[in-house]
Amino acid sequence: MLFNSLNFLLFFPVVCIIYFAIPALKWRNIFLLAASYWFYMNWKPAYALLLLTSTAVTYVAALGIDRCAGRRGKRAWLTASLVLNLAILFLFKYYNFAAESLSLLLEHLGIALPMPEFGLLLPVGISFYTFQALGYSIDVYRGQTAVEKNFFTYALFVSFFPQLVAGPIERSTHLLPQFKVKQRFDYDAVMAGIRLMIWGYFLKLALADRCGTYVDAVYNNLTQHNGGSYLLASLIFPFQIYGDFAGYSLVAIGTARVMGFRLMDNFRRPYFAATVTDFWHRWHISLSTWFKDYVYIPLGGNRVGKARGYFNLLVTFIVSGAWHGANWTFIVWGALHGIILCIEKFLGFAKAQLSGARKFFHWFVTFCLVVLAWIFFRAETLSDAGRIIKGIFTNLEMPYLPLADCMAIFMALSIVLFKECKDEFHWNIHLSDSRYWVVRHTYIAAAICYILLFGVLNGDQFIYFQF
Amino acid sequence: MKRLIYSILFIIILLFAFDRIGGAVMWWVNQHSNDVSAPKIRYLVNTCDQELITMGTSRSNLHYIPSIICDTIGISVYNGGIDGSDNIYAHYIMLNHILSHHIPRIICLEVMANDFLYQEKGSFNTLSFFAPYIGLNARADSVFREAGTYWRYKISHLYRYNAKAVSNTAGLLVNRQSGGDNGYIPISQPLHFPDTLKNSDFVFSCDSNKVKYIRKFISLCREHNILLVFTVSPVYLIASPNEYGVLKQIADENGIPFFDYHSAGLYLDHPEYFKDNVHLWDKGARLFTSVFAHDLKMYLDSVGFFEKEQVK
Repeated sequence: MLFNSLNFLLFFPVVCIIYFAIPALKWRNIFLLAASYWFYMNWKPAYALLLLTSTAVTYVAALGIDRCAGRRGKRAWLTASLVLNLAILFLFKYYNFAAESLSLLLEHLGIALPMPEFGLLLPVGISFYTFQALGYSIDVYRGQTAVEKNFFTYALFVSFFPQLVAGPIERSTHLLPQFKVKQRFDYDAVMAGIRLMIWGYFLKLALADRCGTYVDAVYNNLTQHNGGSYLLASLIFPFQIYGDFAGYSLVAIGTARVMGFRLMDNFRRPYFAATVTDFWHRWHISLSTWFKDYVYIPLGGNRVGKARGYFNLLVTFIVSGAWHGANWTFIVWGALHGIILCIEKFLGFAKAQLSGARKFFHWFVTFCLVVLAWIFFRAETLSDAGRIIKGIFTNLEMPYLPLADCMAIFMALSIVLFKECKDEFHWNIHLSDSRYWVVRHTYIAAAICYILLFGVLNGDQFIYFQF
Repeated sequence: MKRLIYSILFIIILLFAFDRIGGAVMWWVNQHSNDVSAPKIRYLVNTCDQELITMGTSRSNLHYIPSIICDTIGISVYNGGIDGSDNIYAHYIMLNHILSHHIPRIICLEVMANDFLYQEKGSFNTLSFFAPYIGLNARADSVFREAGTYWRYKISHLYRYNAKAVSNTAGLLVNRQSGGDNGYIPISQPLHFPDTLKNSDFVFSCDSNKVKYIRKFISLCREHNILLVFTVSPVYLIASPNEYGVLKQIADENGIPFFDYHSAGLYLDHPEYFKDNVHLWDKGARLFTSVFAHDLKMYLDSVGFFEKEQVK
């Protein structure tokens, strides 16, 4: 079920009403679990079995880790959990890509070895829930979280519908305890959640999908466009992906907030970052901290030699790139970020205190680097990305400018920029969080009207669903 | 809980007020806009009085030049093709709106596979062009009811302008109709002509509801004594065998002339006439319209169309 579908707008209030009407915590959790599976099964019911498998494997592994006294036994349970979950992920997400790449490599070496291919559909959100479940296994192994013995509570932690298919990737230490407390109906929390949802919908429907119409028109028809269009589309895409993913995250956080749960923040105005290191403190925070805690630090983090530290950073970002999709474009995207972070670390930018013109210069360079990397992320193939970059530098002519689309993008972007500036620079302007009841409510009504009039309401998928 | 109910009620009242005021403003904008489609739909719904009207999607919009047809046949012509109107449902709505105030003598409907094929993305997606006119024609509204969008448009007046608000507003600032020729707006030479001649990617899966609407379209024309002509203008793709078989069969059954320039391979040796694989640019459109106008005149003469009209 998509957040931007009519089904969800009917599903969510019904779930909320029933949820708050159920008096016992145990039955509330069971109801939420059933609702979450219903939410997931709306896409492809059979794939709920994968979700259940991942849940069962990590649940049993965590019990095993808890019951084993020796370190070897604990490690064996953890390894089993990691291998089984990653094997499922590999089979559904990476197998075809790996087989194709291996076949090509062998072909170059003069060995013809056709590999079988599976026509499996990528299960929605598999990377998200797998990582969340694996995080729990590792936390139990490290003793950072107590093992959850109630299967239903644990299953709800893995499949909680607001963040099931596209995050934020929650930590067991943060979310699991919330399922053990009976959440009370709280008017302020409900209204705050609704406001977050509305802003999330705005980002998705009025900004991201509007940007998407232009970006798709160019990136899906590269031969029909010149370098000017490539540049404009590449400048617009960062806002599309931001609106799409931050929008989803906000709807997820808002949905959970209405029911009394607090999910972690996933975005903090990433395009205000003055270094790429800072960008990763602001972009997809739940994933970047996951990789930091479960990949970078176990590799040794920065408590090793300098060269090894850079290597760890690079490996972490290459894996992060691969997490996004089975394509060389994502791996190059991750590697580019990794290389830039290594350079920033080497030059001491990562910890530099910047201000004034110097900060502005750093911000500009950072934005350009992030845009350059996004080209690889969005392009279908590496050769397409190369064509786009070459076109920008060698064929910079008047871009394709559909007046209506550009106006709609400009309008939405202006509103988003105003809101982001207000939050980043702490401007003393209050609309959604005004102390006046009328202003707060008028903000909600006006935002809904804007979406009705200018939003793209064709029920398009969220980009991050494919990951 | 009481506070939440008050909040929701207040938001609903505000939404209703904003929606109705905004809807009225957008109606005014729509009725004064000079963007690509709004003036054409407005003209067709309210005032068109030409004797021959070409209808269809962007292929109709870009391929038929009224002045050339008019010079050849000697009757007034309007190009009623609407970009993105996509399939027979949109054409049926448009025809009903036209017939509510005017009965043309000839309608040339540019048909394509979308008019009878099952579309995965939904066949009713492109009807929103006509949403501002909901409630004006019962037959046209019936299509919205079938699409399941009728009540959405009835409830929210703003939503009627969802796909068009920016374009309509931009049309207040920039006149996209200048240089037009009775609904035809020439487009300039593209940066690149289509470079490879591929086969038409045709997968046959007939949508029975669309076929029903083609028949309804034909009945409506017959009811009003309108000569209906089916056309398929040139496409820079090699037509699949029997690509238009369903349409040709319907045309045969109903005695409708069918001018199929795609299957005949017209201009497959002239990629320089095309803007992309399925659209001609102005040069190609001028050449094609001359061919079509000549063929149409031959047909009208052969069936004694003008003599019959004089007798009437």
